[in-house]
Amino acid sequence: MIDIQKKTKKEGIFALSLLAILMLVITLFSGCTQTNNENQGLPIVVVGRDSASGTREFFWEHVMKKGNFTTTMLEKNSNGAVHQTVSTTQGAIGYVGLGYLDEEVKAVKINGIEATVANVVAGTYPISRALNMYTNGEPTGIALEFLKYLDSTEGQAIVEDEGFVPKTSTGSYVKVDGLLGSITIVGSTTVLPIAQLAAEDFNTLYGENLVAVSGGGSSVGVQSVGEGSAIIGMASRELKSSETTSYPNLVKHIVCNDGIAIIINPENTYVEDLTLEQVQDIYDGTYTNWDELE
Amino acid sequence: MNTKKIINPLISGKKRKRNEKAIKSVFFLTAIFGIIIIFSILFFLIRETYPLPTDIWSFLSGTIWSPTESLQFGTFSLTVGTLLVTLGAMIIAIPISIGGALFISEIASSRVRSIIKPAIELLAGIPSVVYGFFGLIILTTWIKDIFGVPTGETWLAGSIILGIMAIPTITTVAEDAIKAVPREFKEGSLAMGATKWQTIQKVIIPSALSGITAAIILGIGRAVGETMAILMVCGNAAIIPTPLWNIFSPIRTLTSTLGIETAEVPVGGPHYHALFGVAVLLLMITLIINITAVYLLGTIQKRQGATSKKKKHLFSITLLIKIKKIFTSLGLLFILLLLYLITGLLITAILVIIGGLLWFMRNKISQKNLQKIAFSTLGAAILLIIVILGIILSYIIINGAGALSWEFLTEAPKRLGREGGISTPLIGTLYLVAGAIAIALPIGVGASIYLTEYTKENTLTKIIRTGADLLNGTPSIVFGLFGFAFFVLYLKFGFSLIAGQITLAFMIIPTILRTTEEALRSVPQSLREGSYAVGATRWQTIRRVVLPPAAPGIITGAILGIGRAAGETAPIMFTAVAFSSFFPTSLLEPVNALPYHLFIISTNVPGAAAKNAAGGTALVLLLLVIGFYSIAILIRNHYQKTMKW
Repeated sequence: MIDIQKKTKKEGIFALSLLAILMLVITLFSGCTQTNNENQGLPIVVVGRDSASGTREFFWEHVMKKGNFTTTMLEKNSNGAVHQTVSTTQGAIGYVGLGYLDEEVKAVKINGIEATVANVVAGTYPISRALNMYTNGEPTGIALEFLKYLDSTEGQAIVEDEGFVPKTSTGSYVKVDGLLGSITIVGSTTVLPIAQLAAEDFNTLYGENLVAVSGGGSSVGVQSVGEGSAIIGMASRELKSSETTSYPNLVKHIVCNDGIAIIINPENTYVEDLTLEQVQDIYDGTYTNWDELE
Repeated sequence: MNTKKIINPLISGKKRKRNEKAIKSVFFLTAIFGIIIIFSILFFLIRETYPLPTDIWSFLSGTIWSPTESLQFGTFSLTVGTLLVTLGAMIIAIPISIGGALFISEIASSRVRSIIKPAIELLAGIPSVVYGFFGLIILTTWIKDIFGVPTGETWLAGSIILGIMAIPTITTVAEDAIKAVPREFKEGSLAMGATKWQTIQKVIIPSALSGITAAIILGIGRAVGETMAILMVCGNAAIIPTPLWNIFSPIRTLTSTLGIETAEVPVGGPHYHALFGVAVLLLMITLIINITAVYLLGTIQKRQGATSKKKKHLFSITLLIKIKKIFTSLGLLFILLLLYLITGLLITAILVIIGGLLWFMRNKISQKNLQKIAFSTLGAAILLIIVILGIILSYIIINGAGALSWEFLTEAPKRLGREGGISTPLIGTLYLVAGAIAIALPIGVGASIYLTEYTKENTLTKIIRTGADLLNGTPSIVFGLFGFAFFVLYLKFGFSLIAGQITLAFMIIPTILRTTEEALRSVPQSLREGSYAVGATRWQTIRRVVLPPAAPGIITGAILGIGRAAGETAPIMFTAVAFSSFFPTSLLEPVNALPYHLFIISTNVPGAAAKNAAGGTALVLLLLVIGFYSIAILIRNHYQKTMKW
């Protein structure tokens, strides 16, 4: 027994000193490789959205032209998280809805056009999309009234307050009588703020909880309304061909438009202006350092 | 009259037997519940996996995860990510927590202990979403600035956060195990002239080893299954670090893949099936880890049992020493690497030399000095935990104090949570936790009573115990997916309060079971024998003799369970929650919950007002947990004072 303990102790000392030497070699080695990696400029940290995001899908189709993203892209599950990372990471680039722009991040000009609501309305800013709501067949009852509310001056004021791009309103909303029951609205987290705020006002106006809103994402929204578990589905994109085959009766209702801003850290002084092709090349990994773009 | 008196005991004797049998079978049912849950989880997850959009081999070995664009479903990089992050977390957490546990139970005075122990339990109660935001805002920035890397969202950040999150789990359970070592052992060692440190090293640690191993298993379970915090800090790029030890590479785990993608995936598509495949894979990995751990635990228990009864197996001792060696060397490697990166080459080299010298001089230092060195190291471990806790708490308080007011607590959220308060998520969380604990406590306690009191070790108890261990290692997000597949879709509950409650209950059953069992086992066998000797039945013995002294331990388990349930987002995200401003009027309606509310307003609502409200919500969530904990700690202290044998 004692012998074995002694033996293992000796072995232990031997192994540990061997390990110490090994570690020294490794640290030296990794130190060398690291100093080699330290080149000039500012490495690009590509930040994107998760695979299930409608915003990512739009970005992939319209900016990436359906090309692959670089594998080192950091993936975030919300606009807020993208904003957070870009605002604290000097070399980061990300994409968010216009509503998320503030002084903590800097929106780059795309093809020389600034990312503003006015430029989206004018049609000059290239990355914009419609935010939609879908109903299964023509809307009736509460759904119809709620969509009307969204189109009204009150509804579009919410759109504008949230930083989205309003469309021409249909005038002030007129309350109707005889609304009974309740409806659920499910889908895109991008559209959710508008729907939630409008639902709060709509419910207050009628003094009843007529409309309940929850998230889930664009695809869930389309699926829920198609299969009847929700009355209105929200989506930050158009229907896919597979969805139009599965749910042929869906009727689209445009709530408003949304510009997607390409954001970088305010301390990033390398670029002010990018072309769409450059954005694509950043996101597919062709550029890895900001000094390549100066 | 007389005859009646004679007959009565006979009848009641039969009745007693019948009652005993009935009670036993009830406990048996609760005991096999864990197994039933495990199998139903497996069944429903696999059911939703079919048809997998790719063949199994490329699913497991493919390195590209692109479920919507190039439609490649390779999970190998995710698996590697999960393992690496967990490894790093354990290297950080195990030494600190075991050091902490030793400090609390053996070195600290009772006054110090009464402050430190709750503080560590508090660390367990901080919700993972809060850890995530702390990690994202503070930790990743530090890593980025200190090491000069492009982004702090890295493997290292993930491991640090997971390590911190695993510390309280490991410490609490390890401390219970150390406390359970009979006093005679310690006294015997001290009487023979051993120093306190020698006693700890040679007597206490070996005797408590099974409990300590259990603590580590629980810690690994916590780390592997963590979702919300890890998805916020580790960047989620689905790549394998190059080189493999590059701790500054972003990384993506299986859980974070599920966490960020499942909520928005359409049911029934290829992406959906692939995600369930990821969940099955995750479950399989945890099964393998747990079975290994259970096996290891078995060898240790055999060896430990040998000290009092049978011969020793030389093999298992050398095996254990080898395992210990591997762990220490891995730990050293990681620490050295960190040291090098922080301080540079020269200082590291000097430290390595000093360390080596110390190692060789080990036998020459007097035991007294050795004890001083050891104790100050342990003290440093506990100090580190307290400092971490302090940083996180002060961050939450500073960010949240401004938003706090009576109206904030009593009003429903308005304008996306920017105005109004948090009454609906607050009440929703209370509903969820109350329901979960009401379901989990009887089952967990019942199962552990069956295991400790009604059976000897046999194949059945082994299976039951393994089932509980496996359930414990099951990641919370897997419970969420199971709840979604079973309650929401299969039973058609929809997103509902009841679905969330049951899912949370399933998740916390093993925590309660484990700690209760540990508590029951610490009740001396002689007490039971005394009770049987005066003619008490088994159930009477359990109720009157075994349960009262075990109550503090059971309450500790319940506290850990409540803490976990209140702060968890992953299991309720797909089963129960909606970002609503209504109160649920039935069990079948969705609710809002504090961690989910926090998650949504801090990630999906722009503007300073939302940030402010998020700070307030985080603080309220924390205060709520502190409230739970304080009540429970008070109860436990009360019991500890009155129970002395």
